[in-house]
Amino acid sequence: MKLEVSGVGKDYLIPVIDSVSFAAEAGEFVCLLGPNGCGKTTLLRIVGGIEPATRGRVVLDGLPVIAEQRQPRKVGIVFQEDRLLPWMTLRDNVGLVLTPLGVGAAERAATADRYLKLAGLAGFEAYYPGRVSGGMRQRAAIARALAIEPDLLLMDEPFGALDAQNRRIMQTEVRRIWRETGRTIIFVTHSIEEAVAIGTTLVMLSARPSRVRELIRNDGRVERAKLVDDLNTMIMEEVERQQGAGPPGA
Amino acid sequence: MTWRDWTARLHLPTLLVTVLIVIGWGLLSWRYGAYVLPSPLAVLAGLRDILRTGEIWTHTAASLARIAVGFGGAVLVAVLLGLAAFLSRLARGAVHDVLAVLNSTSVFVWIVISIIWFGLSNWAPIFTTFMITLPVVGSNIVEGVAGVDRRLLEMGDVYRLSGRRKFTAIVVPSTLPYLVAGMKIGFGLALKVSVVAEIFGVTSGIGYVMNYSREILATQMVFAWAVVMILVMTLTDKLVFDTVSRRLTRWR
Repeated sequence: MKLEVSGVGKDYLIPVIDSVSFAAEAGEFVCLLGPNGCGKTTLLRIVGGIEPATRGRVVLDGLPVIAEQRQPRKVGIVFQEDRLLPWMTLRDNVGLVLTPLGVGAAERAATADRYLKLAGLAGFEAYYPGRVSGGMRQRAAIARALAIEPDLLLMDEPFGALDAQNRRIMQTEVRRIWRETGRTIIFVTHSIEEAVAIGTTLVMLSARPSRVRELIRNDGRVERAKLVDDLNTMIMEEVERQQGAGPPGA
Repeated sequence: MTWRDWTARLHLPTLLVTVLIVIGWGLLSWRYGAYVLPSPLAVLAGLRDILRTGEIWTHTAASLARIAVGFGGAVLVAVLLGLAAFLSRLARGAVHDVLAVLNSTSVFVWIVISIIWFGLSNWAPIFTTFMITLPVVGSNIVEGVAGVDRRLLEMGDVYRLSGRRKFTAIVVPSTLPYLVAGMKIGFGLALKVSVVAEIFGVTSGIGYVMNYSREILATQMVFAWAVVMILVMTLTDKLVFDTVSRRLTRWR
């Protein structure tokens, strides 16, 4: 799945995203970085077709993404929160998103179990979300996003609520799942270390109203420690610039 | 189980308080006479009489039948209002305001109006029950509908769930606890209200028979029927509503 984001911008009361363009080839793992409030989540929602863009367009394999319309492409999303239905077991939660694909009940359960296992949740299929830990809920949400075999997988700071150890485990898991399934992934994070550890392409956004400040191929040609340092310097500059611009609306 | 567990399970403090009240009641009744305050034993004898004649079943059934129609109708209309509130933001505002107005209308207003409209018939207590319980159940459902987590609905959109699927998988399960809570309060209210409305113009039901007992100076029967009412209320609460809400929140 090839993704093209061209000149996408978004205004609320103030312009949040000025103009962002980048492209991702099939199977790429793109990490979106940037200071808080620069519109990373908004950009992800525009790519996912949840919100319309004020300007510009998003094209998935030649087909434009139109907000709030049934997309011809399968897009899986992992939100900052797990967004599981608390009254359904993990198996039913994953199975639910397979219903629009016309999958029968028995196959839904089998597919759900397969992806829950992939996410390290074998044995917990019949548990309700409230009975498992936050990390396990987030993994179930990832299993749900993968179960539809998405053309594009969007992840919005999916590990934000996890402690450091679970976070590392989940990063390795997602990286492994990405290698095994070859999906195109757009991954929003505010952690530079995380981005450098798992992304193949790093997109650094500038302060609000945001543009692409830097697009970096994380192919091992630049040493990781130096990359982390450079990105840290960049993000500090952008944070300062955003704060210098005063409060929103001023 | 320890001594403390048993004390809690048998409601021992409650029992103790009850015994004290019954003793006080007996003393007062001995002081003021059976017309003002019949003795506990007279009330028990009254209960035994209505059990033996079967009156307890006919009058309770008559009251419950009226409640079933009036309260059942209110639940039905409340669900429809909730549906409208879910489908349209405009409707939600209107429904909310109408229910608020109904909520602040006195029981007596509906009793008088229902007698004017329906005369001395079954429909008077049914209508009164309907009008009083509708805002209680309705505002609970509307609150439940408004409280449906938008983020879950958005998740449903992203995964392209059909409208019907979103309704059954997301809206209904998150609204049901509100409906059951509303019905629990509504039913208690229905029992209290319909009994008052039965004083006028009908010849069966707990309210009718209580008022009749008062007229023939059988105060012990007024008390006996009050006990029946309390039993009906407690039993439905424990057996029906508690069971249903426990089943609904299994996942918690």
